[in-house]
Amino acid sequence: MNSQAAAMSGVETPVGKNGTWWFLASEIPIFGGLIAAYIVMRLGSAGWSDASSHLNFNIALTNTFLLLTSSMTIVMAHAAVQNSALKRGANFLGLTILLGLGFLGMKAFEYGTEISHGFLPSSGIFWSFYYGMTGLHALHVLAGIVVNVVLWSQAVKGSLARHPHRVELAGLYWHLVDIIWIFLFPLLYLA
Amino acid sequence: MNNAQERHYLIIWLWLVVLVGISVAAASALPKIQALVLIFSIAIVKALLVARNYMHLKNEKPIYYAMALVPLAFVIILLLGLFPDFVYHVTKP
Repeated sequence: MNSQAAAMSGVETPVGKNGTWWFLASEIPIFGGLIAAYIVMRLGSAGWSDASSHLNFNIALTNTFLLLTSSMTIVMAHAAVQNSALKRGANFLGLTILLGLGFLGMKAFEYGTEISHGFLPSSGIFWSFYYGMTGLHALHVLAGIVVNVVLWSQAVKGSLARHPHRVELAGLYWHLVDIIWIFLFPLLYLA
Repeated sequence: MNNAQERHYLIIWLWLVVLVGISVAAASALPKIQALVLIFSIAIVKALLVARNYMHLKNEKPIYYAMALVPLAFVIILLLGLFPDFVYHVTKP
């Protein structure tokens, strides 16, 4: 550890945490802008309810359950790693990864069904928004899974013990992805 | 492992699942407008539950609230700014 890193380890808030929050703050206008555009476009024109009725509600509900559960498992992983229970932390991280993969698998199946019924991003403005918003969200889930896999492998090897705060940072990102879905689900499937 | 901490996270998860159930029930049981108001109010509550408990915002410094709320304020301004054009189709004479 160099002198600057040594000095940093003594400060109250880690630099990584500030950086993660800045990153999360930059995500809010991206999804917020899409959601705002979706709301005004939907309120301003008719026929969107018919299009949304073709979506698979049961898959979306299952995916909601998977993401909410994964938020709990990653925060439990954070708590476990903080308490030096690396194996338990690795188990919770592994569960989070599986739940994320489950989400992506269900989403891929849903996309396949919709595409096979002829609903493509070019099929109308609702479908453009639908594929744009859920596709961007799915990419974020995929990125979160990659980060979680790296942390899981570090936990299994034992090297995560030196950097327990990394699970907190990955968790912050994962929870934001969950919060985005909390709004996408009612917007697309319930409204 | 801190059991009380785990129990707290589990209780929050149960609340989140119950709130999803209420949203789904409201969508089919209530008139459209009332259902929408309830569903999006519940979505805000769920987001706050995740942010305050799982992201630990309730124990964080105010700067982190600001970092989340300032971009959110810009999104709301954008939403309100677009409303007249797209929803009411207001155009300049």
